[in-house]
Amino acid sequence: MNIFTTDFFFSIIRIATPILLATLAAVIGEKGGVSNIGLEGIMMMSALFGSLGAYWTGSWLLGLVIAMVVGLIEALLMGFFAFKLQTDIILVGTAVNMIGSGGTIFLVKTISNTVMGQSLTSTTSLITKAHQIPSISIPYVRDIPVVGKVISGHSLLTYIAFLLVIFTIILLYKTPLGLNIRSVGENPNAAASVGVSVSRIRYITIGIGGVLAGLGGAYMSMYYAMGWSLDMVAGRGFIALAAQSMGGGEPVGSMLAALVFGFAQALGIKVSATGVDSNLVAPIPYIVTIISLVLFALNQRRKERKRFAAAA
Amino acid sequence: MSRKNSIKFSLIRGLAAMGIALAVAFLLILFSANGSNLPEKFSSSLAALREMLISPVIRKNGTFSVKGLSDVLAGMIPIMFTGLATCIMFAANQFNLGAEGGIMLGAFVTALVAIYLPLPTPALMVVAVLVGGLSVGILMLIPAVLKAKLGVSEMVNSLMLNYVIMYFINYLMNSYLADTSKGITQTFPFRANALIPQMINNGSRLSWGFVVGLIMVVLSWLFMYRTRWGYGIRMTGINQPFVMYSGMNVALIVILCQVLGGFLAGIGGGIEMLGRYNVYNWSALPGYGWTGITVAILAGNNPLFVPLAAFFMSYLTKGCTLMSTNANVPSQLISIIQAVIFIFFAAQQFMSGYRQKLVVKSAQEEQAKARQEGERSDQ
Repeated sequence: MNIFTTDFFFSIIRIATPILLATLAAVIGEKGGVSNIGLEGIMMMSALFGSLGAYWTGSWLLGLVIAMVVGLIEALLMGFFAFKLQTDIILVGTAVNMIGSGGTIFLVKTISNTVMGQSLTSTTSLITKAHQIPSISIPYVRDIPVVGKVISGHSLLTYIAFLLVIFTIILLYKTPLGLNIRSVGENPNAAASVGVSVSRIRYITIGIGGVLAGLGGAYMSMYYAMGWSLDMVAGRGFIALAAQSMGGGEPVGSMLAALVFGFAQALGIKVSATGVDSNLVAPIPYIVTIISLVLFALNQRRKERKRFAAAA
Repeated sequence: MSRKNSIKFSLIRGLAAMGIALAVAFLLILFSANGSNLPEKFSSSLAALREMLISPVIRKNGTFSVKGLSDVLAGMIPIMFTGLATCIMFAANQFNLGAEGGIMLGAFVTALVAIYLPLPTPALMVVAVLVGGLSVGILMLIPAVLKAKLGVSEMVNSLMLNYVIMYFINYLMNSYLADTSKGITQTFPFRANALIPQMINNGSRLSWGFVVGLIMVVLSWLFMYRTRWGYGIRMTGINQPFVMYSGMNVALIVILCQVLGGFLAGIGGGIEMLGRYNVYNWSALPGYGWTGITVAILAGNNPLFVPLAAFFMSYLTKGCTLMSTNANVPSQLISIIQAVIFIFFAAQQFMSGYRQKLVVKSAQEEQAKARQEGERSDQ
């Protein structure tokens, strides 16, 4: 059986998109010295409010904006606890993830009960095609044989996600803000000594991450699936952290890592279509994460050895 | 600051964190409570809050409920173990979040031993729980060794392992182990002599595992505060270069604390399984690992305070469940309360202004005392 069809490569990109968005959040965060492990929780919350927002306003665009705003607010709150109240940022992230899992179901039950008089556990029943982020068929490109079928027809957000990779490179390496982010990440004291407001830069760093994770969450509930359901993000926020470190913390490398995860999961879906127990296939992305982190670390170590050898 | 003032400060700070969490809870309850206008909503929210805070141990007619209390104590069992596990790992700054998958794997392995291994009465129980604990301890070698030797994030790896454990167990259950004569996915029943006896026979499922939990609390405390290795673990968390330069093996400490943490989570799962159930039927991660993190934070990573923190969390969990049945407020409110308490507890700068005042006050008192003594000696 040939599994490497154009459909298959199409699905890699489709699956990789939310991971890519969260990965970019992790890349910018780590450059600025802010390890945000709450991306998972932010994605959950944004996924919920994105789909609810689209339902209330009747517009997917407003839903998307609401998801971004929710991501931003949550990230800034994290910043308040981490930078102002000096809570260990890993614990802040853990708290955000708790709220992302149990808190979202509380909110969806409560909101639906108050607004509609019935307690819902997902927003699937509310959502129609009009609430979803549209797919875009690119003229001319779609007519290219093979490649056209793979890269045309994706969600608008997918194209935005890949454009955001370029945006991230420009932000980090071509703008004064990017320089500040990197300098705060590398040495906050040095940055402060030349007059950079460390806490302001940190808030901006985590805020950008929140918006990106918010987009990732919106993609989950407003394109990948019809509406929000419990634990739908399923570890993608964590996989993004792994993709960031596999990609060496650089935008392009991390994008490739995100695509590797897309590949692993797409392969899993193909395999389970042949009748293999889905429980055997579902953990593949998580195992790939562990293995690739190890390979990356081994590779790093070999590079360092070489450098030492060259120096000696 | 004197020891007395320092305890006073921690106490007030803890109460303030809980107060804030309850205020947040009240606002959310107000938002979700029944009622068409504000006064109506307000009174039903108060009723809901009372349900959450009082009804776990007080009956409707105002009398004390032994069954309620034993329910709360029984609820402490799994989170005491995950709490202890997290204490030991976090004390060394190893943010291993694998207690969640660990307790599930421990429960599963213990269940298998309890079903398939014919052993005499006390041995089966002990062996089953120990094998469960050991299996998780061994599994934790993966994130631990990778961290110690390659510097790979133990946090990401342990999180990934949680999912792998869950799917792998579900696969084994679906394909090989499930009792297919039953409507839901569950194993065959445990051997009768594997079940941990109950301390009180009122349906609370408060097994003697509770006492084992308390013993583990004391042992963990002794280990952390009275042994060389425990000292090494705590010092690694406070100042890792110091540990390295004083000649202790940091890599070994990093591995040891995670393996021990995994072992504790694993026996917690085993004890919960044999104390509460007679078949294995978990199909999703139970959430005890996350509550364990909250417990460890509330206890300040000190094993001795784990029972107190676990009691608090178990009480609130039961309160939220009662509230959802009797007052129509979704029980998942617990995860928001939990997150709020724990984030304020862990905030170093929370109420730092107040601490500053206490420090200044006690310094002034000492100064005044010194001056008085000085005057006395002048006379």
